[in-house]
Amino acid sequence: MIILKYLLLIFLGVTAYLAISFKEILISIIFLSIFSIVLTTLYLIHNAPDVALAEAVIGAGLNTAIFMTVISQIRADEDCHCRKDD
Amino acid sequence: MSKLKHISIVIILASLGLVMLLDLNKIPNQFEYANSIYHHITNNAVGETGSLNFVTAILYDYRAYDSMGESTIIFGAVSGIVLLLSRKTLPVSSHGLSFIVKRTYGMLTPFIFLFSVYIIAHGHLSPGGGFQGGVILGAISIIFSIVYGSEFDYKRYTPTTKTLLETSGALLFIGIGLIGIIYSGSFLSNLNILNSEPGSLLSAGSIPFINLGIGFKIGAGLAIIFYSMIQKTFKEEASL
Repeated sequence: MIILKYLLLIFLGVTAYLAISFKEILISIIFLSIFSIVLTTLYLIHNAPDVALAEAVIGAGLNTAIFMTVISQIRADEDCHCRKDD
Repeated sequence: MSKLKHISIVIILASLGLVMLLDLNKIPNQFEYANSIYHHITNNAVGETGSLNFVTAILYDYRAYDSMGESTIIFGAVSGIVLLLSRKTLPVSSHGLSFIVKRTYGMLTPFIFLFSVYIIAHGHLSPGGGFQGGVILGAISIIFSIVYGSEFDYKRYTPTTKTLLETSGALLFIGIGLIGIIYSGSFLSNLNILNSEPGSLLSAGSIPFINLGIGFKIGAGLAIIFYSMIQKTFKEEASL
């Protein structure tokens, strides 16, 4: 269990770095949701199931959906401006 | 120039981490004080509140006033987002994903709903509570708009219904608090009516009802936030 804990901690750092290292925002959002899932497992290992449930629902589920929607909205706006310029 | 910026960012982050690490050492050890609040809660929480989940006992009984403040913050956020983003255009767009995804999600929806209701209703017995279950309730509505297209959910479950649900959840919370004044003289005190043994569904006094109110409030509030954010696309796609 201790080995698993340290492996997850290392993976947490790696995903957090990968989330900020890409230029493409979509990949960053996916890595952020993977970060949340790893964090959920860590909360469960540390005997905090309440926080783990909240993190799984909000971090991995809702945040990803809302970020994706906002990204698509911004891109739709940019497309519209391009069409107006043409 | 950008190298200097990077180095300064690293220095700021490292010093922030150092400060947080030093602060972490200042937190008292939970085993040091024999008569601390930690021992009071682990020994007396079941007898005083009837809730087996101590986190819920703290959130909705000992510190229920703080939870009311948090739900007020969410109410303010929903009001602000709706005020800034909502437009009175009817949604006409987005046919959704393929037939297989629609059928699969249609079959899965009752189970997701059952799971969220389970988490809300068993908030005082098992991990979870009104907030977590409420977010799953809101997620059902959000996935509907992604899978079935945004018109489907909007027609059946209008923003007026969502607002009604959110407001009734908040009113249930505050109403239980006001009944507490009449019943035992303090705001949000635990009403020990409808009590059976700790561990059954209708135990823990007013905690399950507060959970129910918070669940409806959070679920409807998040759905309102999502729908007021995607309303802009509707108008543009309709004009195109």
